[in-house]
Amino acid sequence: MSERMAIVGLGYADIRSCTPGISYKELMYEAATRAYDDAGINPRKQVDSFISVSEDFWEGTSIFDEYVPDQLGAALRPVHTVCGDGLQALSCAAMLIETGQAQIVAVEGHSKHSDMCTPHHIHQLAFDPIYHRPLGAHPQHLAGLEMARFLHESENTREHCGLVVQKNRRNALKNPRSVYGSDLSLQDILDAEPTFTPMGVLDAAQPADGAFVVVVAAERRAKALSTHPVWIRGYGWCTETPAVDSRSWGEAAYARLAAHQAYRMAKITAPARELDFAEVDDSFSYKELQHLEALDICPQGAAGAWLQAGITQTGGEFPVNVSGGSLGVGYFLEASGLMRLTEAVLQLRGQAGAVQLPAVRRGLVQSWRNLPTTTGCVVILERADGRE
Amino acid sequence: MLSKLTTSAQTRQWPGHIPVEYVYTAGIAGEAFLRALKDRGMLLTSQCPQCQTVYLPARLYCEQCFEETKQYEEIAPKGWVHTYTVAHVDIDGEALAVPQIYAFIRFGGTNGGLIHRLGQTQPHQVSIGMEVEALLLPGKERTGSINDITCFQPTK
Repeated sequence: MSERMAIVGLGYADIRSCTPGISYKELMYEAATRAYDDAGINPRKQVDSFISVSEDFWEGTSIFDEYVPDQLGAALRPVHTVCGDGLQALSCAAMLIETGQAQIVAVEGHSKHSDMCTPHHIHQLAFDPIYHRPLGAHPQHLAGLEMARFLHESENTREHCGLVVQKNRRNALKNPRSVYGSDLSLQDILDAEPTFTPMGVLDAAQPADGAFVVVVAAERRAKALSTHPVWIRGYGWCTETPAVDSRSWGEAAYARLAAHQAYRMAKITAPARELDFAEVDDSFSYKELQHLEALDICPQGAAGAWLQAGITQTGGEFPVNVSGGSLGVGYFLEASGLMRLTEAVLQLRGQAGAVQLPAVRRGLVQSWRNLPTTTGCVVILERADGRE
Repeated sequence: MLSKLTTSAQTRQWPGHIPVEYVYTAGIAGEAFLRALKDRGMLLTSQCPQCQTVYLPARLYCEQCFEETKQYEEIAPKGWVHTYTVAHVDIDGEALAVPQIYAFIRFGGTNGGLIHRLGQTQPHQVSIGMEVEALLLPGKERTGSINDITCFQPTK
C-alpha cells in the first residue's frame, strides 16, 4: 500500500432484535456521533468524504443514497453510497485516502431489518427473475443446496456445522454487543427443526438491527488523532458470478480471491502463522468452515477438524469469531462486515471486554453479501505501532 | 441524544406497501432457451468458441472470455442431481404440509445446470448423482417459463 491509513474512530448503536423506538436515521445518527466522539473530530469540518452502504429494497426507499447525508453530518459534503457490504465501503474509503482525495473518511452501515414485514419476499427479489425466482422458494433453499454440496465435497460433517453454531452462540454470551448468545448442546442444534436440509433452523444467523460507523484516516492524521490507531494493512474484494449455473458450489471462490488480493497487499504468505485471529462470515454455520478454507487459514477440508480440536475456539491457537459472529451477534444485512470489523478493531485496541483475546497484534475480517450472492471482502488489520 | 422513547405506547409506525411490478425480458439467448423449452421440450445450450465452455441455459456471451457464444445446441432435459435440499418452510416462513425437494441439476456435455423442484420421489430416496429427467407440462399448457417444467423426476 502506498499510503498508510488507520481506523481512528468507532461507533455502534442499538444492537438488538427489534428497534421500534428509533428511526433508521436516528440509529445512524447515534452510531455516527459515537464514532466522531471516539475519533475526537467534528464531522462538519474534519471528515473529507462519507460513504454509506445500503440496498434500496432492504430500506423500502428508492434511491436511498439521497437519504443518508444529514444524519451523518455529511450534508453539502462529498458523500456516496455503496450498494454492497460494509467492507466494500471500507475499501472505497481506503482508495479515497490512497489517491489523496481525502484524509479522513467516515464509513457507515446499518440494519433496520425489523422494519421489513415481508423480508423473505423482498430477499427473493435478489434471485434471477427468469430461471430461478419463478420457483417461488424461500431464499434459504439456496443455502441448503450449497451446504449439501459443500459437505459432499469436503471432509467436514453436519456435526462440525453444529459445533460452529454452538461455539459462536456461546461466544456471544460473553459479548454485550450481541443478540443471540446461548448455551446449546450439539444435540439441541442437530435436533432443531429442519428448514432446508441438511440445515436446521439454528444453522442460519438470525437478523438484528443496529448501526456501525468507522472513521478512517491517513497516517499523518491518524497519529495526531488517536493513541490507538488500528492500521489497515490490506484489503480485497471479489464477485464470482450471479449465475447459479456457473458458480462453484463446493467452495467460496470469492473469498479465496479477495484474500489473495488482501494478503498480497499485507505481504502475508502464511495466514494462520502471521495472523492471530479472524472474524469471518458465518451467516450460515457451514459458511464459517467454507470461508476458513477459502481464506487459506486452514487446509482444505480441515476446518471442522480444527474446530473439533479446539484450534478455532476462544482459547485455541487461532480463535475465529470470538465475538459470536453473525450466529451469535446477529445478521445486519449490508452492515454485517462492519459488525465484524468493529469487533476486530475492539480486539486490537484491547477494548473487547469479556471477549478480549490476549496479545493479539494482527487480525483478518471477511464478509459475504449473503444469498444469493458470490461477493466477499477481506481486510487485514494490525494494532497500533506503539504496542508492538 | 438527550432522551428516548421509554414506553412502547409512544412508538408510531407507518405501514407502507410497495407495489413492485416488472416485465423481465429474457433477451436474445434467453428467448431462444424458453422457446426451445416451450415448443420442443428441449434445453438450449450455447458454447464459447474460445474456451469451449457450454452454457445451460444458453447465454449470449462467455463470462470467462467475454466472447460472444456460438454453436447453439438443444439437448434432452435429462441430467443428474449435483446437490439437493429438502425445504420444510415456505417463503412466508410457514411450515410446509408436504416438504418440497429442490435440486441443482447438471446435464451431460455442458458446464451449466438448473435449480428446480424434484418430484415423483421421496426425500429419503434422493441422492447426489441420481439421474433425473424433466416432467414437462403438456405442450398446449406451456407458456415459455421455467415452470413449463413441472419438476424433475427419477429417470425411468
